[in-house]
Amino acid sequence: MCEEDATAAAFLVGGKQDLAFDTLLARVAKPARYTNAEWNAVHKDHGRVRACVALAYPDVYEVGMSHLGLQILYHVLNSHPDFLAERVFSPWPDMEDQLRAAGLPLATLESRTPLREFDAVGVTLPYELTYTNVLNLLALGGIPVRAADRKQGDPLVIGGGIGAVNPEPMAEYFDAILIGEGEEAILELAEAAALKDREAALDRLTQIAGVYVPSRYEYAPQGVGPRGVVRPCGDAPPRIGRRIVDDLERAPFPTRQIVPYLETVHARVTLEIMRGCARGCRFCQAGSVYRPRRERSVETLLRQAEEAVVATGFDEISLLGFTSVDHPQIEELVSRLGRRFGPEGVGVALPSLRADAFSVALAGKIQEVRKSGLTFAPEAGTQRLRDVLRKEMTEDDLFAAAEAAFSSGWTRLKLYFMIGLPTETEEDVAGIADLVRRLAAFGRGALGPKRGRLQLGVSLACFVPKPHTPFQWAPQDSSENLEAKQRLLQQTLRDRQVKLSWTDPRVSALEAAISRGDRRVGRVIELAWQRGARFDAWGEHYDFPRWQQAFADAELNVQDYANAALLPGDPFPWDHVDCGMAVEVLKREAARAMEPR
Amino acid sequence: MAQYICRYRKGEPLRWIGHLDLKRTLERALRRARLPLELTQGHNPHPKMSFGPPLPLGATGEAEVFSLHLTEPLTAEALTERLRAQLPAGFDITDVWTVPGYKKRETFGDINVADYRVVVATELSLAEIHARGRDLLAREEIIVERGGERPERAVDLRPMILTLWAEARGEDEVELIMKLRTGSHGGARPQEVVTLLGLDPSDGALRICRTALGVEGEVPPERPKPGLHRRWTRTRR
Repeated sequence: MCEEDATAAAFLVGGKQDLAFDTLLARVAKPARYTNAEWNAVHKDHGRVRACVALAYPDVYEVGMSHLGLQILYHVLNSHPDFLAERVFSPWPDMEDQLRAAGLPLATLESRTPLREFDAVGVTLPYELTYTNVLNLLALGGIPVRAADRKQGDPLVIGGGIGAVNPEPMAEYFDAILIGEGEEAILELAEAAALKDREAALDRLTQIAGVYVPSRYEYAPQGVGPRGVVRPCGDAPPRIGRRIVDDLERAPFPTRQIVPYLETVHARVTLEIMRGCARGCRFCQAGSVYRPRRERSVETLLRQAEEAVVATGFDEISLLGFTSVDHPQIEELVSRLGRRFGPEGVGVALPSLRADAFSVALAGKIQEVRKSGLTFAPEAGTQRLRDVLRKEMTEDDLFAAAEAAFSSGWTRLKLYFMIGLPTETEEDVAGIADLVRRLAAFGRGALGPKRGRLQLGVSLACFVPKPHTPFQWAPQDSSENLEAKQRLLQQTLRDRQVKLSWTDPRVSALEAAISRGDRRVGRVIELAWQRGARFDAWGEHYDFPRWQQAFADAELNVQDYANAALLPGDPFPWDHVDCGMAVEVLKREAARAMEPR
Repeated sequence: MAQYICRYRKGEPLRWIGHLDLKRTLERALRRARLPLELTQGHNPHPKMSFGPPLPLGATGEAEVFSLHLTEPLTAEALTERLRAQLPAGFDITDVWTVPGYKKRETFGDINVADYRVVVATELSLAEIHARGRDLLAREEIIVERGGERPERAVDLRPMILTLWAEARGEDEVELIMKLRTGSHGGARPQEVVTLLGLDPSDGALRICRTALGVEGEVPPERPKPGLHRRWTRTRR
């Protein structure tokens, strides 16, 4: 009975099951975050591969398991006979306390092997506010956080993801950072790890296209803020181009997706129907660095959907892409998926919609089963400002989309706006309130007897200037101004059917400072982490005074990075990273944005 | 239309998976097994099934139950085989019965007793624990305050403890064997009994295994035939 169970457990965890760990699990919230045998998780023998890689996501399990990139890399490495990959996520603070108290190192889920025993640790850099978690992961895993302190036998710590396009804030903590898309490069990185010799591996990594080896470069700051130059020390390439997958159709894609026990942010089959975006919104970093737009064919997607539904048992298929309705065969895809899976009770979801009647009609076709709200992103309150952003959406589009939504039964809409955008005036801010009020009135009229069910969720983000976009030179508005604008909207948008939400400008300021940060900002991150900063993207853990103190300790301030207007001639710490968009193009776009309107 | 009752073991690998997460795990396994599931009507259709009383997080179970509806009849053997192929380690189907006739839904609402075996770390002698157990069972009433529930209330645990025994289990460990009341009409938790014996009920010090579920004593008259339920109570010892 119970005795048998004890032996059954031993097979599961490669013999590393220890009572001590189970005792910790009994004391933390959601212990399933740290258990190890979800359906489709891969357990390979460490003795039979040339390189063991830990794939880390610097946020909690439920967030990290919703990240497709991690599953793609896990699949590519584990499909290769010579390599293995295991997963690790940031332990929630309660688990961190337990690990530290017990003196246990952070280990991977699959085999509970401490991170320090791997040949390489791959870390995704999904957004700036996870960077303290990155350092914490390494430290808890028994790895020196600074690359310079690592020795022969320590794992290679390799970064990637969208954050890699400005690698400088994390440069001193990584042995290598991959710029661009990872599914092809990951095997080359694993080969370097298989050399099992630090210096030889770093030499090899320097030769791999798209790989930045920060220790082979030096940083010369030029004045305050994000001004400085990164130069190679030896024969490392002066500029690093990004990796990009030419043919999405032939790119590896995991259909045996891991099925978490815990309810994750997105528990469903994810089909990546396209990558990149053909639109040119000037604030959008992902749109700028993942060009060109590439698609998968309907036939391939149907085959992948078939395999994935059988392999996972999920009851929803989500069609992933920056603007998935831009897929050239989207209607055919949606109707064939619906015909095939509808009868089995498997729904189809479109996470990103364009605001127009076509998109809404399409969504209406597939989301009958589970009717949730629809989301549109007008971004700005006036046409003038949308033109500055090059956001291809008019008010007519938005109202046509809203009309289509209300007439097909939706009563809940979510609207995303940004404040503090370049050239923004009071009129633009007031324009948000005006647009929302008119949309609410329109909704009540269109819904008639159901008008009481109308709900408009209005989300106000603060503009954050991002490297490699035409707005990389633009200052972020001061926190005081942003707060004043939020207050204005809170006062003018008093409607019980309008729910306003906003981000804390002091969180956005940190995001901007790290986004445009250099190696000096990296030291600030390290100081903040030492002072206890963790999970900064989680409101309950974010502590602005702690960050201010960290900036002060480094003799820097947030404003120099976040709120400075940079000049066209300024050297940027990310100039050595080539994301495929020539700086002349960015300058031209920036100039066009600023033309008087 | 066919209805089945499945008995399963929730083993060590799944002891940290909560009840709702386990339900979802079964739903997905059923879908992977491509069984002809009967779905609920309505907005968000999902397979018709129901589960016995939830196990506490961290506990294992030897004889847990769920019921299932299929639109086409399968033999119990075929159902077992197809489900086993899709269930994760630690979720082991041990027996499957076809329910004669068709009931709208099997709810297991009658289950009112559960057997537990609890391994506790202790330095006390077995004789001492036996003595404490005898004292406990000799009491007229055992009033305890239930924390965590609002409003906090006092409960008499004495009628909830049906049997209690202890056996030696190697060095510094004893195994408590108990039959407790459970279910919607009130019950005792194994941790509470451990505390009453003056042993350490904290997480790491215990291993709880529920070995049987059953129906004993007054069964509400309108409920299904007790014979069927008796069969769930069988333990595999």
